[in-house]
Amino acid sequence: MHLLSRKVTLDKRGASEEEILDALNLKTKNKSIQFQYLIANLSEYIEKLGLQVRYNPLDEHWFISFDQDVSDIISANPFENQPKIAATLFCTLACCFKGSGSCKIREIIELRKKKGIIEDLKILQKKGYVILDKKLDQVHLTPLIGYELDLNALFTNLAINLKE
Amino acid sequence: MTEYKEITEHINQKIEEVQRKVISGKIKLLNYELAPIFTELKKALNIENLDNSSKTYKAACELLNQKFEDLRRLLSSLDSEQKFIDYLKSNPKDEEISRLFDGCWRKIFHVDGLSLSFLEFSKNKLCKDKGVPITIEHLDKVFSDEEFLLEIPEHNFTEKMFEFLVRIQKYLPCSFEEIFGDEQDQAKIYEIFVYLLHLLQLGKIKYQKETNTLYT
Repeated sequence: MHLLSRKVTLDKRGASEEEILDALNLKTKNKSIQFQYLIANLSEYIEKLGLQVRYNPLDEHWFISFDQDVSDIISANPFENQPKIAATLFCTLACCFKGSGSCKIREIIELRKKKGIIEDLKILQKKGYVILDKKLDQVHLTPLIGYELDLNALFTNLAINLKE
Repeated sequence: MTEYKEITEHINQKIEEVQRKVISGKIKLLNYELAPIFTELKKALNIENLDNSSKTYKAACELLNQKFEDLRRLLSSLDSEQKFIDYLKSNPKDEEISRLFDGCWRKIFHVDGLSLSFLEFSKNKLCKDKGVPITIEHLDKVFSDEEFLLEIPEHNFTEKMFEFLVRIQKYLPCSFEEIFGDEQDQAKIYEIFVYLLHLLQLGKIKYQKETNTLYT
């Protein structure tokens, strides 16, 4: 619980599988299986508390978050009533995933076809979700977005939306 | 048994209802959470209703397979990242894009108080010795072919009580305390006390409260 709930840096939480295995001194052959078993058990254990163990694919860290119901109650959405910034974030995510974690600022502007995209990106940078490099015209995603946003759920929502 | 049967029947009804709604197009399986059905089934699982549970489990798995199949179809229809870009190129409104984030944000659980030292402190507090708990040792049963006889006193209570009366007659009248003399044995004191109570009740001896005297 200590490793999974810790705040390492501004955009890094929890711990990697290796860090957890080291802390638990698990060195056996099937340590990965044991790890999965422990994670599954812990997740089930804390489920009753409205918590869940999650995995951030952006930096391969395991961490703890509140489940969807609790997150909705405490308004986890940082862009409530700010659809423009949310839309810019979505475009940034789509472009960055295409470019393995980073993309050109120009690409986002072209895709969005809206004014004030640089300002939106600055707000996203302030939130800690992206790092802007104006000289290189680059946007880099930080791991933080992988902690706060359920990317699988987002892409499922998109897929359903496209199907409809 | 009936209770477990009722639970599996309830789950079966729920599965059938989901199937009906999917067929009629009222709901989409991809949007429907199946985990509660499996959780309910897990809770209802009992050796006595294994047959019913396995049938329900099969039906729930079919529903799950159907959901996987829907997801597979969906993903295969979206196998190109270009389609995501194409979606954005179709100029959807900001509100529409924003709605895609609905239900996707999760609050990170981070508590400063949950440091390793705090956890160790809590563990030590919880694991503090609380003394050895009392254990009840049950006696071993001994089987014997011999007839069991309950040992009973040679004299019954009335006989012993009158023997006591004869014994104290020569001291009466005397004070209540004098009857006990220097007796230290608690069991004996209790026995004497009980005899006195009975003899007083029977009227064989009397007691004058004012002078604290026993007399016949």
